[in-house]
Amino acid sequence: MKTVKISMALFATTFVLAACDAGPDKSVDRGINSHSVSQLNAGIWVDPTGCDQWIIDDGVEGYLSARLDKYGKPVCSGIAEPNTVVGDFKNQIPDPI
Amino acid sequence: MLGFVLLAGSAMADERYVPGIWVDPDGCEHWVMDDGAEGYMTPHVTRDGIPVCRRGNPCAVMNSDQLFRVDKAYITPTGRKRLQDFFRKANATAFIIDGHTDSDASDAYNMSLSKRRAQAVAKIAESVGARAQVRWYGERVPVASNSTAAGKRKNRRVEITCVR
Repeated sequence: MKTVKISMALFATTFVLAACDAGPDKSVDRGINSHSVSQLNAGIWVDPTGCDQWIIDDGVEGYLSARLDKYGKPVCSGIAEPNTVVGDFKNQIPDPI
Repeated sequence: MLGFVLLAGSAMADERYVPGIWVDPDGCEHWVMDDGAEGYMTPHVTRDGIPVCRRGNPCAVMNSDQLFRVDKAYITPTGRKRLQDFFRKANATAFIIDGHTDSDASDAYNMSLSKRRAQAVAKIAESVGARAQVRWYGERVPVASNSTAAGKRKNRRVEITCVR
């Protein structure tokens, strides 16, 4: 149990250090599996109103952004009940915390 | 102390944050920033609030003349049949139905007419078990000039977006 905790702490430290000198260009994930932020897999989170939000788990970072129609209005597709998620949006890297 | 905090805040405001672009499965752009341990994202919209997208036309644009009689929101039997076929075959999670008119009559009248027409189309979607969201814009979003008969005909339309 203790070993698990220590390794988790080390894991978290690695991410904190990686976060130090990110610079102004925020378009790259400099973590373990370094990649451009344009390469992200999204699921859909249905908000309490019933409208769709894109949800992404990119390891340490999480993203949420509105799904909009061509006129800028929310898409409320009814794909699932409010307060649920659909789709395979989770990164393979376990969350350090 | 408060003064110090405010000063520090204003100094931070000049720090450069340059986002990347993520394109969602619908083809629309989002600003995305990875700030080390935090991530941020928001839709890329124009100053008018229109999303910036890399996608084509809506799933279908139905000309109103083929569905409705002038000034009416009742759908003709042939129009009804066509729409039912469309909704059955479109293979979508849901539909967004946008009503539009030409510029004849008042803005308020056209807002009401486009609403009633879009609702009539949505009822047909629901009659075959499909989910539909209805929006209406009256004469406010033309796709052609309202100064010619051909342009007006193009503007009288019901746009259907397939949500997949």
